[in-house]
Amino acid sequence: MGQILQFAINGLMSGAIYALIAVGLVSVFKATRVVNFAHGYLIMFGAYFYFTFAVLVPQAAWAPEWLQSWRPEWMLAMRADLPMFSPMAAVLDWLANLPRIVLGLIGALVCNALLGLLIERVLMRPLMGQSVFAMIMLTVGLISILSGAAQLIWTSDAEFVPSLAPNTPIRFELFGSMIFLFGADLANMVIALLIFGGIVLMVRYTKSGIAIRATAEDQSTAYSMGISVPRVFSRAWVLASTTGAVAGAILATRNGISPSLGLFGFSVLAIVLMGGLDSYLGVFVAAMVVGVLEALTQWQFGGEWAGIVPYVAVLLVILVRPYGLFGSKEIERI
Amino acid sequence: MITGNLKSSYAADEQVLDNRWKRGFLLACLAGLAAIAAFGNNYVILIACQMGIMLIAVTGVNVVIGYTGLMSLGHAAFVAIGAYAVVIFHNTAGAWLPDSVATVVAIPVAVAVSALIGVIVGLPSLRVKGLYLAVATLSANFIVIFLIEQDVFAPWTGGMNGINTPAPNLLGWEMDTRREQFVLIAALAVLSLLAAQNLFRTRVGRAFIAIRDRDYSAEILGISLYRYKLMSFAISAAYCGLAGALFAYFYARILPEQFELDLSLMLVAAIIVGGMGRTMGPVFGVIVIVMVPEVITVLFGAIAGGGAELAQIRAPIQEIAFGALIVGFLLFEPFGITHITDRALRALNRWPFARG
Repeated sequence: MGQILQFAINGLMSGAIYALIAVGLVSVFKATRVVNFAHGYLIMFGAYFYFTFAVLVPQAAWAPEWLQSWRPEWMLAMRADLPMFSPMAAVLDWLANLPRIVLGLIGALVCNALLGLLIERVLMRPLMGQSVFAMIMLTVGLISILSGAAQLIWTSDAEFVPSLAPNTPIRFELFGSMIFLFGADLANMVIALLIFGGIVLMVRYTKSGIAIRATAEDQSTAYSMGISVPRVFSRAWVLASTTGAVAGAILATRNGISPSLGLFGFSVLAIVLMGGLDSYLGVFVAAMVVGVLEALTQWQFGGEWAGIVPYVAVLLVILVRPYGLFGSKEIERI
Repeated sequence: MITGNLKSSYAADEQVLDNRWKRGFLLACLAGLAAIAAFGNNYVILIACQMGIMLIAVTGVNVVIGYTGLMSLGHAAFVAIGAYAVVIFHNTAGAWLPDSVATVVAIPVAVAVSALIGVIVGLPSLRVKGLYLAVATLSANFIVIFLIEQDVFAPWTGGMNGINTPAPNLLGWEMDTRREQFVLIAALAVLSLLAAQNLFRTRVGRAFIAIRDRDYSAEILGISLYRYKLMSFAISAAYCGLAGALFAYFYARILPEQFELDLSLMLVAAIIVGGMGRTMGPVFGVIVIVMVPEVITVLFGAIAGGGAELAQIRAPIQEIAFGALIVGFLLFEPFGITHITDRALRALNRWPFARG
């Protein structure tokens, strides 16, 4: 029983990250009707940008000392009194890394936003109004371009990257069983959920969110009501690439950076289809369910089986409910 | 409009190759292939074999994407099934069969097994289309490769480490050199292309095209979507199974990772580059998709003379070139190379009166 709970909580934590990635896919789909097969590779770029700004730049000769490791007097004084492995020491370690974490996040957000804009402007916009097939295949071509470019730019494999939050071990008791977590994982989950919630609220209540929904409803009507549809498109891509950057940074701290990070996007794609392409709620539910299922599979059958859980799940769901759990049925004119 | 193509009988109109230019082209191609088999050096033979194997698979993908309009990103799975079916057949049933017969039986078995799995993978196409189908087939690809890699099946498939493959033996003709295998591959490739050309003047092929153009209208016309969509998947999977069987015979060893998403994308890229829903599309597409990395390799060799550092950036550049091919053709020539050749031939046909 205790182990089920432990694995379920682990699953919820990775589910939150799935949800964070999925929100980018859903936003782009809602606004532009394009499903971005290369989203995983956008995330990989986010991870590499984070690595660049949080590890490579501070290591450079011209970078100031405090960027690499910030150690003011008071911190050293506090540090001296602490025993090894105390939670406070982990927090202080994190504080020392804080400048480069912030720089890394800002760099990743800005660079990825620019990348998203570039893709939208150069590749997607000329195809506006073309068939779904052409748009999807374009993003498929983008996969190769992005993964090749990443290998060209970052030849070295990424080493350790600083985690976004202090990595203190946390133990607590839940329903009579011990649960063991890492602080960074918990913080990642909170960040992911906050961003997810923020985006859902933004799409619901702000002006630009309403513009996105109007465009999703009917492009030409939105156009004639004075909404600049191309601007909605670029906003959606920026939204997707910035959430992707955060997700990339989180994934980089969890399992390191490698070109295989891009494959992650495909499992999230499966999750998105499972939840329903245009439903934030459905995608959230699907992400959490798949996260938990994956963790439970990992527990019962071993790590490699966890990898195909999203694909099996999406096949089963699609066969029963073709438009996902909460997706709206596509209505076609004949 | 094509001029000078007058028909005076139905029989003439119904031929597979309906004018003498096409027949001449086929003969020229056969002569070219014979010349390669006779005089090509090892490198040419190797590339030609790779092209032949891929051509068969791409022809299959063309049936399902180009003619039936069902988007599939998982056809590498069928190539894998064909390849592994041949190896497993040789390692199990092959023990009872004489060597000279085993190949002749193994290839049809591989094709049949692939077609059967194709029907199963095609099941989602009855419920969903477009993007959803693309993701469903993509998922099927991941699942098939995952199953092949499992330890449970390792006694038959070799698991992650791959498995050694037998050499083909065509009724006593031991084909253990690349050149001999090329004859087999080229013959089967030409036959598959002709079969594809033939398919689309039959009832079945026309039903596929009707489904592609508008599935609801096709259904109203009395075409059973259920039957023909599955048939389309079965036929294309059979082509891919044949390609997989030849793949297994051609290479000394097969690994599960050779049949992952990369191969699926390559197959789809080839028909985008070549031209969808055209018999010659796969031919052009495969030539480009196979040649571009080779040309890049040769260029790099010429520039760098094989420096280790440059060799390191060659693979990413090949990858970028592959993506750029897909993107470039989608943006600037969405109907592929066949559209370019169409324009050229039309201009030639009308010359000197009108161009374009």
